[in-house]
Formats: sequence, structure tokens, C-alpha cells
Amino acid sequence: MADIIQIDDVSYAYHDNIPALSRVSMSISEGEIFAVIGSNGCGKSTLLHIMNGLIYPPSGRVYFQGKKVSEDALRDRAFLKFFRSSVGHVFQDSDVHLFCPTVFDELMFGPLQLGLSQEEASGRVREIMAMLEISHLKDRPPYMLSGGEKKRVAIGSILTMNPRLLLLDEPMNGLDPRTKSFLIELMILLNNAGKTLVIATHDLALISELRCRVAVLSEDHRVEKIGTADEILQDEDLLLRVNLIHEHVHYHGNNAHIHIHSHYLFHRHDEKPDVVDS
Amino acid sequence: MKNKIPGFLLCTPVQAHDAQERVTLRSSYIEKGIGHLSEMITTGYLNVGQESGKGFFQKLDPRVKVIFLIFFVVIVSLKRHIFPEVAIALFVFLLVALSRINLAQFYKKIVGLTFVFGFLVVFPSAFNIVTPGQLVLPVITLSQPYEFIIYHIPEEIGITRQGIDGVMMLCLRMMNSLAISLLVIYTTPFHRIIRALQVFRVPPALLLVITLSYKYIFIFAKTIEDMYFARKSRLVGMVKDSEARIWVAGRIAHMFRKAMSRYEEVFRAMVARGFAEEVRLSNIGKLTAVDLLSGGFFLLVGIFLLWM
Repeated sequence: MADIIQIDDVSYAYHDNIPALSRVSMSISEGEIFAVIGSNGCGKSTLLHIMNGLIYPPSGRVYFQGKKVSEDALRDRAFLKFFRSSVGHVFQDSDVHLFCPTVFDELMFGPLQLGLSQEEASGRVREIMAMLEISHLKDRPPYMLSGGEKKRVAIGSILTMNPRLLLLDEPMNGLDPRTKSFLIELMILLNNAGKTLVIATHDLALISELRCRVAVLSEDHRVEKIGTADEILQDEDLLLRVNLIHEHVHYHGNNAHIHIHSHYLFHRHDEKPDVVDS
Repeated sequence: MKNKIPGFLLCTPVQAHDAQERVTLRSSYIEKGIGHLSEMITTGYLNVGQESGKGFFQKLDPRVKVIFLIFFVVIVSLKRHIFPEVAIALFVFLLVALSRINLAQFYKKIVGLTFVFGFLVVFPSAFNIVTPGQLVLPVITLSQPYEFIIYHIPEEIGITRQGIDGVMMLCLRMMNSLAISLLVIYTTPFHRIIRALQVFRVPPALLLVITLSYKYIFIFAKTIEDMYFARKSRLVGMVKDSEARIWVAGRIAHMFRKAMSRYEEVFRAMVARGFAEEVRLSNIGKLTAVDLLSGGFFLLVGIFLLWM
């Protein structure tokens, strides 16, 4: 499969002195699920903003389907329409993502921007609401929704635009287990339908479930490694180094056990654990 | 959810972009304004990250800096001649350099503000219509003098030496006051400046309100920026100014609602941590020998400048 998005040697700093990305390069193929993982503040959200042409890196290049994404390129009406309708971005904070008066308006916003007729747009909205099981929230204002409902509406507001590429920023944050499993099922379904998914997360359980290709960002904002989910999850030194798992001490009776621990995936004792009599 | 995926999601979304024909879009001024607002607040007004560093002023206690600020701004206002103002400007320049602040950026901001809010405002007073005196640059010669309301318009209109002195004096005062204020702001985190106001017996409740308001400006700016990005990512063409205005009005209402619920949550969080009407702020700490020596040095320089 051809690359849908390519990041080439991109660096970015906020206010010129707070580094967010340092010489990041990666390529994502059309139709794949790709996860960007790393601890808090490593630059995952910034990378998604750059992929979506919302901010522009002072150094490095971004290509979407072989075409350079830059401030100048996005001033071209045709390219802007092509790019914005091809790339959907679900923001980490649903409160900022949802800016229309009702759920229905929220889902209508994108298709109307694309120039679809009212009938076609509302048809899409009804289908998406049925798929995401939010039809009953149609007239509700977004601020009157629960966290899980907001996330569904945020994803729905992007799906009605039918993008090729979905950028999902921490999609599992703050959701209950049922909504999480709903979203994982949805992501697999969308990928099977041909959508490319780029997910920024620090949820190791999610990449374990999706079995996707993974880029690991370090705390100094560089790409530490790119590999399959298995390769990354088995590399405990790497996960320790980038602060996604940690060493943990706990007690069984009078014995203290030290082992690698993650709240998402690992809680495993070595075959011969370090045992300290207390 | 299986088999529920809508048919349109299975279709190829859009045809590839044809690079042959290019129609350039012009952003609406409201669109640009929203994007620049948060950047302006965080980088311009709040000076994010610039207070850090290991220069001379960064190491001083905020109380010394706040007293320095007030003392020197008063001196700047009291001086009536250009020479002492130039001496103050040189002294502040030295402090800025010792504090390892980027001189070009620092003085660019000061000169820009002084030009717009100082020079352009007071420049008309350099003419002999406002400030009579020795004419150094004649501009227009009229057929006869006129009387207009309270102004005497002489036959020959031009810039006077006294007028130039007045403009220079006002511009220098403004530059010095700005440089002193920005030096303190650039080298001190805002919450420490506020805390230092305790030495002037400012009520702790007021200090707490200012600190919370300042924090809210950050949250406000970030929320505006994120909402702007969220909207931008779903826009495919140019937005009419009228549509942008409707959106901005809606967002203002949304921000107001959000602010209301946020302050209730913050207040509950404060109550949960033991807040009960009386505000108690942590002690600001003792002055070091360097603080006392620097404070003494500033006092001596200030007295010398007053004597000049």
C-alpha cells in the first residue's frame, strides 16, 4: 500500500522555547492502523496537529498522499477541500471538539462544509447516529452529555465527512470499560471499511488489542522506535525508558516483590522474583 | 454494532487533488483573529517561559523587585530633564543585559509600544501651535495668524525646540517605565510578583482572586486555541465574515457557560481542601544577603538619580 501520510524530519517547539517534537520521521500506509505512543507531554498531540495541518513545523516536511502539506498549500481552495475532507481529527478534549448548539448540528457541520445537500447530509447523520447508538441524543446540547456520549458524538462528527484518514487523540481517555470496548470494535470496523487510523495514546492495552504498527516517542520528543505491537510490547527496556511502564514494589505477607508494572498491560512476576525479607 | 456501518463510509471519499488549477483562499479577519488571540495572550501578555533563566534579576527575591519597580517608576516620573532619564535608561539596559534577556526582542517590544502609544500621541505637541518656542523646523507658512478656540495658530507653523524636548522627555519616560516593568515581569513568575505584594499589605483574598484570574486566562487562551483548531480541521473553504461572527458569538456564550461551571468546580475543590472564607497564603521566605545587598544598591542608585 502507498503511504497516505509521511512525516520527514519534523521538529516543533511551542513559543520557540518549549520543545514538543525533535526530528521526527515516519510513514503511514493507506489502510493501516498506526499508533503513536509515549508518556504525557512527549508530543503525540502536537504530531497529530501537524499531520492535520493545524500547526506548521518550522523545520521538516509533511506529505499527504505525496502532496506537501504547508500553510501555503492549504491556501489553495481545491487542496484544502481535498485535504480537510480526507483527514478527520478527533480531539483529546471532546468539549473543545464539539462547538455546535446540538448533537444533530454537530454531525451536520462537516458534510455541509463539504458542500453536500441538506438531504444527503442529514441522511449521513441519521446513519452515523444509528451506528454509534446516539440517535436519542439528537437534540441535546453537547455540554449536557456524559464523557462517553461526547466521545461518540465527536467521532460521529468526523465520520459524517467520510475521511480516508482518522486522527484519534487519546480516544480512550476517561471512558468506562463498555464505551472503550465499543470504540475498539468501531476502530476495527472502520479499518476493515478501508479507513486509515492514526491513534495517539499511552494505553498499551489498546495497541495490544489493535495489533497495529507503533511509533514510540521518547520524553525528549524523538522517535525511539517504530515496530509492530508485539515488537514494542515485548521490548520492556524500551517501555521502561520512555516511561510507559515502571518498576513496582509490593508485598505478599512478609515478602517484598519487585517487578515491572503497567496499569494497562503488565502485572507480571518474573519466574525468579527478587525477594526481600522485610 | 456489526453490519451497521453505513454504505457511504465504504465508498472512496474524494478524488485525488488536481494540482493544475489553483484558487488561493483569503482567510477572514475574524478567523485570523481567533487564531492569533491565544498566541498573543500566551506569548505577548503572559510571557510564557521567559521568566526562567539564571540571570542577575531572576535570582532576586520578588519583594526586592517589586519595591525596585515602584521606586524607579516614581523616579522616572519625578525627573524633569533628559539627562537623568538617559542615565536611568542606561542603568536599566545594564540590568537587562545582566539578566541575560534577549536584548533585541526586549527593546523591539519597548520601542514599538513607545512609538505607537508615546511618540504618535505626543508628536503634535512638538508644533508651535501647542508648544510655543524657538522654531527649528518650519513646515507651513500661512498668510496671517489665526485664533482657533483656545489655540493661537501663528503665521509660520513648525516644530519648536521646546516641543522636541517635551516629546523626547515623554517618550523617554514611557520607555524607561516600560523597560523597568518588563524587566520585572520577564524575570519573575507572575504568582511570585503577586505574592510579593503581601509586603504592601494587599489583602490575601485579593491576591488569591488575581492569581486565580491569571490562571484562568491561560485556560481561556488554551480553550480558544483548541476550539479554533477543532473548527479549522472541519472547514474546507473560506468562511464569510458574517458566519464567523455568528460562530464567535456562540463561542462567547459557550465560554461564559463553561467559566460558570468551572468556577463552581474550582470553589468546591478549594472547599474540599479546607478553604473556609479566610485566605491563608504560604510564607514567602526570608531575604538572602544577595537580596539585601541588591536592594541597598538599588536604593543608592535611586537616591543618586534623584539628586541628579
